[in-house]
Amino acid sequence: MAQDSSIDSILLADCGTVMTKVVLLDRVGGQYRFVARGEALTTAEYPWSDVTAGVRHAVEQITNVTGREFFSSTGDLLAANMQGADVFAATTSASPPLEVVLGGLVRDLSVASAERAAAGTYSQVKAIIASDGRGGLTEEERVNTIHKAAPDVICIAGGLENGATRPVLEIVETAALACSLMEESKRPRILYAGNSQLRQKVVDIVKGQAELRVADNVRPTLAEENLFNVQEELDEFYRQNKMTQLPGLDALEAWSPTALTPTARAFSRIVQYLWHLGDPSSGVLGVDVGAANTTIAAAFDGHPFLTVHGDLGVTFGGERLLQEQGFETLARWIPEPLTEDEMHGLLINKELHPVSIPQEPGGVWLEQALAREAIRGALEVARPGWRPGAAQPYPHLMPLCDTIIVSGGALVNTPRPGQIALTVLDALQPIGVSTLVLDKYGLASALGSVAAVKPLAAVEALDSGGFVNLATVVSPVGRARPGDTILRVKITYDDGSGFSVEVQYGNIEVLPLLPGQQAVLELRPTGRHRFDVGLGGPGKGGKRRVNGGIAGLIIDARGRPLRLASDPEERQVQTRQWLWDVGG
Amino acid sequence: MYYPFETQVAPLINVRRERMLPSPGEVTVRIGERVDPMQVVAQANLPGDFRVLSVAHLLGISDAKIKNYMRVKVGESVRRGQILAKRRSRVVKSPIAGVLASSGGGRVLVEAPPTPFELRAYIQGSVTNVLQGRGVVIETTGAVIQGVWGAGGESFGVLKKLVKSPDKPLRARDIDPSCHGTIVIGGSGFNAAVLERAQELQVRGIVTGSLPPELIPEVRRSPIPIIITEGIGAFPMSEPFFQLLATNDGREASISGKIKSRWGVVRPEIIIVLPAESLPSTQAQPGMPLTVGARVRAVRAPYLGQVGTVVTLVDHPRHIETDAKVRGAEVDIGQREPVFIPLMNLEALR
Repeated sequence: MAQDSSIDSILLADCGTVMTKVVLLDRVGGQYRFVARGEALTTAEYPWSDVTAGVRHAVEQITNVTGREFFSSTGDLLAANMQGADVFAATTSASPPLEVVLGGLVRDLSVASAERAAAGTYSQVKAIIASDGRGGLTEEERVNTIHKAAPDVICIAGGLENGATRPVLEIVETAALACSLMEESKRPRILYAGNSQLRQKVVDIVKGQAELRVADNVRPTLAEENLFNVQEELDEFYRQNKMTQLPGLDALEAWSPTALTPTARAFSRIVQYLWHLGDPSSGVLGVDVGAANTTIAAAFDGHPFLTVHGDLGVTFGGERLLQEQGFETLARWIPEPLTEDEMHGLLINKELHPVSIPQEPGGVWLEQALAREAIRGALEVARPGWRPGAAQPYPHLMPLCDTIIVSGGALVNTPRPGQIALTVLDALQPIGVSTLVLDKYGLASALGSVAAVKPLAAVEALDSGGFVNLATVVSPVGRARPGDTILRVKITYDDGSGFSVEVQYGNIEVLPLLPGQQAVLELRPTGRHRFDVGLGGPGKGGKRRVNGGIAGLIIDARGRPLRLASDPEERQVQTRQWLWDVGG
Repeated sequence: MYYPFETQVAPLINVRRERMLPSPGEVTVRIGERVDPMQVVAQANLPGDFRVLSVAHLLGISDAKIKNYMRVKVGESVRRGQILAKRRSRVVKSPIAGVLASSGGGRVLVEAPPTPFELRAYIQGSVTNVLQGRGVVIETTGAVIQGVWGAGGESFGVLKKLVKSPDKPLRARDIDPSCHGTIVIGGSGFNAAVLERAQELQVRGIVTGSLPPELIPEVRRSPIPIIITEGIGAFPMSEPFFQLLATNDGREASISGKIKSRWGVVRPEIIIVLPAESLPSTQAQPGMPLTVGARVRAVRAPYLGQVGTVVTLVDHPRHIETDAKVRGAEVDIGQREPVFIPLMNLEALR
């Protein structure tokens, strides 16, 4: 492959659970630009059983557009001087997840921290063993639980530094016993991330029963959480033992000068990049809703926070969500009547035909409802682990996020931009002023992977047409009666024209501001209600230069947290109105 | 080019099935041997049940002292109810028969004897490969019909068509004593009464086009292999599936309701072993792009289950009812005009 200085063309692939996307970046006029993309089914299963087939199918589409060949007749990736590309890099989320059993002392402390650590990679928590009495399992039941779960890793947290010892060791003993009952080749690895003073004792207990790894205590004090080390261990284990199960991975890696990156990790990298480019006092958030996983990547104060909600995307996990959380969880977001049986059927049929798309409105609403719940579920795990500092004016609400990247086929392929915006607003409920950026071509994770090879390409390609402004959103925080005027908004376009509107509580206002257009937005909260629009605190207004988007400029005055009508019919009227407001 | 997912509804093809043990064991057949569906081709001993007994706690002693009170040594066999440890009036008995496998930390582990597991051939055919200690490969020729959803394990029986057309549901009264030991074929779907009747008469399998969602929990609990060819809801069975099953009415078939949707996909299937001097030369290669003339099935409403032929692969994306703009194909599904169906909602039938 080419030296860094001579890298002109870059081919990037992302092998997702269902779809494989490939994009071509090329240096045009001295700057990296998005040139073309292709998309095909992921081919990890029969009849292909080789993910490189899906990459080739997607590349065929790029060849059709550009006339450029990327593969030799023998199937090798061509270097750029023979057409092809200088560099190839790939990400994937198609491998099976790391199956984890979590052990710890207190469900809401060490176990919750271990759960967040596991969510830093593609994982599935098969069982939780906590000592704080909830569940009240005997040792035999615990051994049975581990035995049945047959995990890849048993991650044991618990015990503050200088804290409890005996209950932690009991969990280690249980884990070791469960391992000893398994066939040697199938024994899980034990990852100990608890009280560091017990390490030697843990080594003695586990010796000969399982492979042991030790990480920093995830919960060294009540107030402190330290996920980095254990996340690294789990991520490494995932890369070595699960990613490699993807058929054709060897060939894919042989094309690339860098190791294959998990999609979520690459996505997190680009979110962190964007934080460095923006306002450091607020955060940057990335939401990627895929077929089987939902990823939330955040950056605050320069620190990345990554959460992968495994096994819940818009294709896989819907039926389980319906069983576990009930019909209303999804039905509340659907603007027209849908029976539980209809919903159940649609969810299962989608899993049976994962690549299929809805051709009727009911299916669209259901997929968007699922996307909302997938994001909400991921947020629930992610938020307690964030350290947003000054970006968090209200502890019970979202922190201030300057930019929100919206990615993943499930959202991006939504028929109308307003529907995408509404899905994201309902699920995230941002506050203050945020720009929603749509990752239209699924470039975000690919750019995260190229950042390791050619950082400049990642930065330049961000502005080259692959990302599209979806909307600038203003979400005031405060309380009022529905219909009360809470905000006066004046918009002044660059040509000097403009207008003013009064915004009533409970409504969504969409003001015209096209992509590429800029305007000065003047926000004046009305005296009595003193809403906070993110410009310095409650009641404070000001001016801000904002960018347009394909869904316009949205003032979301529905309040935070969002309140849905309890009566199903009223709620359908409410959600229909909101959809109408955003042009959905 | 678009490379679609594929479903088999093939009247006569080569069939190759790998049969693997869940854990290492012994293969009992040789390469070249002819096998029948119910024949055992490999066997293994699966780990048995176990019990963990907190002896120290039960006897009220410290962990280190339990060896003073143990009546059985590690490695020795124990009977159910046999005393393992005793201190004055307090005794610890083994809740299962087995072996005292280990002792430590104040507790002991009793393991029950391993459970023998027998792997059956599932299809009639020839053993073409033996994977030493793990399993075998069996090959044959015949018809293969893949379902989209299934439940239950594997079985073998005679196919018995109980409806006249693919849109007719299976009714409880259709299942009479002559269905005992057969795989019954319905059209659109069935209800709880059918399932109950099928269990009473020890039906070996049920194949229909669809299944009402409310019946899923019961079907998952049922021991009968069940195959759904179209999806969950109320849809007729697609014509080619029904016709192929009807053609083979009265023949013996293997049925598997096993399903795995990711990471080593397993689809429910029916295999009807048929003698073949030579296979048709028109067998389509799997994994090929969609072309004009291809036989396809729509997998989403409003055309779910409709089978037709691709008339045109449309060059440019079009708007569909939801307002999404998608690539698609014009498909002749027997209506007056071909209909536009998104490529993602089509699967190739082979």
